[in-house]
Amino acid sequence: MDGEIFEIAVFTTAAALAATVVMLPPGIALAWVLARHRFRGKAVVETLASLPLVMPPVATGLLLLWLVGRRGPVGHLLEPLGIEIVFTPAAVVLAMAIMGLPLLVRTARAGFEQVTRRYEQMAETLGARPWRVFTTVTLPLASRNILAGALLGFTRALGEFGATIVVAGSIPGRTRTLTVGIYTYTETGQDARAAALLVVSVALAFGAVLVANRLAHVD
Amino acid sequence: MPTVAQDDVPRFELRFSLTQGAFTVATDVDVAARAVALFGPSGSGKTSILEAIAGLRTPQHGRIVVRGRVLYDTDTRTHVPVRDRHVGYVPQDVLLFPHLDVRRNITYAQGRRAHVNVPDLDQLLGITTLMDRKVVGLSGGERQRVALARALYSGPDVLLLDEPLAAVDLARRRLILDALIAIRDELRVPLVYVTHSPEEARAVADYAVVLDEGKVVAAGKPRDVLP
Amino acid sequence: MVQWVTGVAVVLALAVAPAQRQQVLVSAAASLADVMATLARRYEMQTGVRVVVNTGASNTLARQITAGAAVDLFVSADEAQMDAVRAEVVSGTRVPLLSNQLVVAVAADRPRRMRSVRDLLDPSYRRIAIGDPAAVPAGVYTKAYLEKLGIWREVSKKVVPSASVRVALATVENGATEAAIVYRTDLATTRRAMMAFAVPLPDGPRIVYPAAVIATGHNRAGATRLLAWLQGDQAMKVFVNAGFIRGR
Repeated sequence: MDGEIFEIAVFTTAAALAATVVMLPPGIALAWVLARHRFRGKAVVETLASLPLVMPPVATGLLLLWLVGRRGPVGHLLEPLGIEIVFTPAAVVLAMAIMGLPLLVRTARAGFEQVTRRYEQMAETLGARPWRVFTTVTLPLASRNILAGALLGFTRALGEFGATIVVAGSIPGRTRTLTVGIYTYTETGQDARAAALLVVSVALAFGAVLVANRLAHVD
Repeated sequence: MPTVAQDDVPRFELRFSLTQGAFTVATDVDVAARAVALFGPSGSGKTSILEAIAGLRTPQHGRIVVRGRVLYDTDTRTHVPVRDRHVGYVPQDVLLFPHLDVRRNITYAQGRRAHVNVPDLDQLLGITTLMDRKVVGLSGGERQRVALARALYSGPDVLLLDEPLAAVDLARRRLILDALIAIRDELRVPLVYVTHSPEEARAVADYAVVLDEGKVVAAGKPRDVLP
Repeated sequence: MVQWVTGVAVVLALAVAPAQRQQVLVSAAASLADVMATLARRYEMQTGVRVVVNTGASNTLARQITAGAAVDLFVSADEAQMDAVRAEVVSGTRVPLLSNQLVVAVAADRPRRMRSVRDLLDPSYRRIAIGDPAAVPAGVYTKAYLEKLGIWREVSKKVVPSASVRVALATVENGATEAAIVYRTDLATTRRAMMAFAVPLPDGPRIVYPAAVIATGHNRAGATRLLAWLQGDQAMKVFVNAGFIRGR
């Protein structure tokens, strides 16, 4: 297998894994807040959390570009620290995480909603503080759903294209993911290369589904 | 934290009114007793009273004092959160944590002032043989024993029991009843015991509160007020 | 918890752009990806300077630059996108690097003869694919050229605007359209389409791939040197081999 193809495949998988790790804490926190709490502006938060799902990915990419570009609100804070996000693998991870987050939040939220409050109350009567209740009761009981959500987020990350290409560009060896590679090679008529990447993408997708099934059957 | 001297009989002050939807429960109980039975037909509000003591429900106004500790008082705006009430709550559906084994369930409470240790619990409830079992395969009686052990392990000021014998088969009921009496007398943990069985109430309690549709219709010694 | 913190640290470490002194970051139109990759390798071999090539649609590249991305050199597929970033261009560095030629492509297994672009008016050409004139540079030039010939209104009734030139060619290859108007360089990428007519350079639109040094980059000197090399004979030979024309 062509060295570059292998490199792209490894990079994409690693980035998708990193994106999944990155999206887990905020995703779980958001899912829990939405599942358990009522507050003013909740509808706004719900909408924001769903936005990447509903907006065209390129639009999300442009938004991210504005945000973390050196001129943007976040970017210009990071610049003096020597941190540039655009055109780096971090941008790939960021785009993947943002696009996968809504899926994780939805699935995890359903998981939390299913956990009966009564178990949490029982833990409270036994003296557990809120964080302990969350980590020893709520989270474990919702873990199946959270895992499913993480898997959804991961597969979404693997297939992410529109936002990635805007904020991370297409730089071979640095930010060229499977999807971006397929696009670039097709655009320049390198169909054989594009086809090879396609095969790898399909294989990875199969792998993800197999893992998902295995996890679903383990009790 | 006030400690109860060996001969002191624990005091309960339960004077409150709790409304949920169309249903109101009102109590006016101020008594010293080792075990209080809440007696009445289903729907009479017994469980709500238990939940109010545990802090899982909040009365609209009133006062709840258990063994000298004010848990709730609308006049002084006292409202002790659930986790600090030091109650051992055993609801009707027991609510053992399904994802933990028996040992982890029983030893869930941590950092409490006083743990009742496991050998004592074993002597009372015979739980050692169950320690490594999963919650899923336990019988009704076993679940009840584990739930009691879990509640006791946290060193509570009071045990709140909601129909503890309901899910236990007849043959084992005596065992659990004996265990409860031992808890009351040897461990000196007072009980608030919800039941619709006069026999159980008579066996365990030295004070009975009779409820009907949320109102206290009688209160006193079990042999006086129970059918 | 620990793994989460480590993960973030790794991601941030990746975010810090690697040593920028000895590298030049070039944003080049997607159609130049292949040829720029070749030239980048050659340049690095000769000078030791690493050329990192970022490719994409020219409008995307332009937006990245206006958002402050640290691009050293920009090669666009049309003037409009270079105009869009004029505020970032180091003055005096903009040059017309390359040009291209419009051609009419037909399916390789159904060759046709055309004497002029006006032949497209013939009813035997039922559908014609061109890059979307609203977004694709090749489409912009095509429309301008057809307007200049006075046949745009007629032809536009048969036009299928495509997301990219590659897509336009694909429609010809699989028979969805009878002809596509693309660049000569695009034809070089496929064997299933062939040229039916090449618009003579003096008649055709003035297609320009402008290149310029960008102010937001980290390596202005390196970009200037690279741009000079790209205009030189050695690099131009590579461009011409790929079907491009020297810019004028």
